[in-house]
Amino acid sequence: MEQSPLLTQRDDYWISEFFAMASPCQILMDVEDRAIASKLAYLAQQESFRIQKKFSRYSDNNIIYQINHSDGKAIEVDEETAALLDYAQQCFEISDGRFDITSGILRQAWTFDGSDHIPDKAQVAKYLDKIGWQKVSWQNPCIMLPKGMEIDLGGIGKEYAVDRSAMLLAQQCGESILVNYGGDLCATGERRNGQGWIVGVEDTANIEQASATDKRLHSKEEFELIRGGIATSGDTRRYLLKDGVRYSHILDPRTGWPVMDAPHSITVVANSCTEAGILATLAILHGKGAEQFLEEQGLTYWSQR
Amino acid sequence: MQLNDKRIRNQLSVATASLLTAVAPVSQALESSSDWEVDTSVLYYSETDRVTAWEPVIRLRKDFGNDRFLTFKTVIDSLTGSSANGAIATGSAQTFTTPSGNSTYTTPANTTPLDPSFHDTRVAVNLGWEQPIAKDMTGIIGFNASNEYDYQSLGLSGTLKWDFNQKNSTLTAGLAYNADTVKPVGGLPVGFATMPTYPAVKPTQGTTEDKTIYDLILGWTQVLSRKDILQLNYVYGNESGYLTDPYKILTLVDGTTGDPVANPYVYEKRPDDRTRHALYAQWNHQFTQDVLRMSYRYFTDDWGIDSHTVDMRYRYELGGKHFLEPHFRYYTQTAADFYHTSLINGQIYDYASADYRLADLVTTTFGIKYGYAISDQSEFGIRLEQMNQQADPSQVIGNQASQDLVPDVDATILQFNYTLLF
Repeated sequence: MEQSPLLTQRDDYWISEFFAMASPCQILMDVEDRAIASKLAYLAQQESFRIQKKFSRYSDNNIIYQINHSDGKAIEVDEETAALLDYAQQCFEISDGRFDITSGILRQAWTFDGSDHIPDKAQVAKYLDKIGWQKVSWQNPCIMLPKGMEIDLGGIGKEYAVDRSAMLLAQQCGESILVNYGGDLCATGERRNGQGWIVGVEDTANIEQASATDKRLHSKEEFELIRGGIATSGDTRRYLLKDGVRYSHILDPRTGWPVMDAPHSITVVANSCTEAGILATLAILHGKGAEQFLEEQGLTYWSQR
Repeated sequence: MQLNDKRIRNQLSVATASLLTAVAPVSQALESSSDWEVDTSVLYYSETDRVTAWEPVIRLRKDFGNDRFLTFKTVIDSLTGSSANGAIATGSAQTFTTPSGNSTYTTPANTTPLDPSFHDTRVAVNLGWEQPIAKDMTGIIGFNASNEYDYQSLGLSGTLKWDFNQKNSTLTAGLAYNADTVKPVGGLPVGFATMPTYPAVKPTQGTTEDKTIYDLILGWTQVLSRKDILQLNYVYGNESGYLTDPYKILTLVDGTTGDPVANPYVYEKRPDDRTRHALYAQWNHQFTQDVLRMSYRYFTDDWGIDSHTVDMRYRYELGGKHFLEPHFRYYTQTAADFYHTSLINGQIYDYASADYRLADLVTTTFGIKYGYAISDQSEFGIRLEQMNQQADPSQVIGNQASQDLVPDVDATILQFNYTLLF
């Protein structure tokens, strides 16, 4: 059974911790009352469990399973799934095919375990014809996936859960909330003390502070997040290494291979955590040009190479 | 398309916004896990050499869910001590008959006459029910009753609250009605009749009288910012019926010397109608942690009383769940048209009262409260206040100049309170 979230009082806020979506999760709540903090933490935990259950590719009785086992037949989806499919389609178009929820099948060729097991070109190539959102027929509310293809919302699920949890809590509580699911964050507004939440950016030794436009940046280690999202994409823990070349777990769906010369990780600040996550992933897929891409978009980011 | 301009970010922003707003968050009401709220307090009020009061209060609030609340409050007032009877201090000792007519009391020379038989216990109960009645609309109905041995009161009230502008604004409209019955000890004295010398008994005009009170309240509460709330209220009130204090007298004096005439004590008489208006503004400002509350009230009635009240409280957070709250209050009023410190023999008065609370008056209160949150579910507080009341006589005639006709009243207020949620 699920455990109720741990609740601890800090100087002037409450913090709750639980585990969901294979990540440690934290909710920071700028409230006084324990009863309210406890209720908010519970709601966030329930929301993360709900999204995990509904969209996880590991489940065998959710909508993703149904779509992936539809054998080419049309599947009618609910409103929330439809919104995510619409979004995936828009990301596919905006990114010129770099973001593609049908690319998960490449996992069968690539196992990112830190080893040197690089697949050979032919192995990868045989999956390429099962990838490509343009081959999917998506007419809200019906999706028809060609037989043998599959979709995976893993690329946006956690960030989406962060934003949805933050929205749900903001609806319940006027005070500021920071949702942190495994390092992907969303804050709902100014705290009672007039400030934001101070967010530490991981592995500061290699982080480059790279935004001249954002005057709120004080140090390399800390960032004050008032409202909006922060997400990180990268291969700091999941990669392959062969002949001194590091292969990122972020694969370009168009080639089936990681982009070379990509930063190890990219952390982006944006309006929402979901948006930050997509931008960070797209930046990695720009390889050498990752930072230039982020600069052009006028974003606050940290890059680790 | 080349990924080399800001269009990607902008398109993504639009797409993400529509994703996140496509489905409303699964709404579950955030209900407090505490169903009951209990407030208890004991207030001790002591005027130097005069009235002492003990007032325990118990307030219960039950949350029935879906914004429905039942409130029950009971107050017991226990008063003992002496109260000014309205007569002036003179150069000789004065003897008065008690209101019951069964005994007398004597006031030494050059001393303000105080009636020592002043003691009373009042029990009051309030019952309230609050619930939503339409979208953004809350209705509250209330019932109240109080009883003391010479006074009964029954009341009903109804209030509508309407939230709008995303709950940043609230309009309130309320109506309250009270029907009271006065049954003074020793009967209802006849206004301006002479207080007889014991053992003679005062003439009376029956045993009970009624009093009816209507109040109309209009309010507007506005959230100005995350840290500022402004509240404005207007109250229109009308009282009719027996508004006289049956225990208060006045001294009839010579118009030149200011000395009392023979058998000088006459019963007071007030108009049987009073219409009043009050405007109230309160501003709450939250600093990083501390809270400042300031209010101003203007009051006027057709008895000639105009008053101004300024009240300030600053809640200073000491950290670690302790707080201190200094309090300052300043109140000033003009006298009622019929307030007379003494009555001049031979003059004709329609109404008269020597109750110093109807005089030109300035009341200043300084206080401090200390509060401590024992746990998330309970809080304890103690409040100490010192009040000073200075009233001016309406007129000082001849020899009265050697007397302190309306002495200051000083009072100490001590209150303990304890709040518990469960």
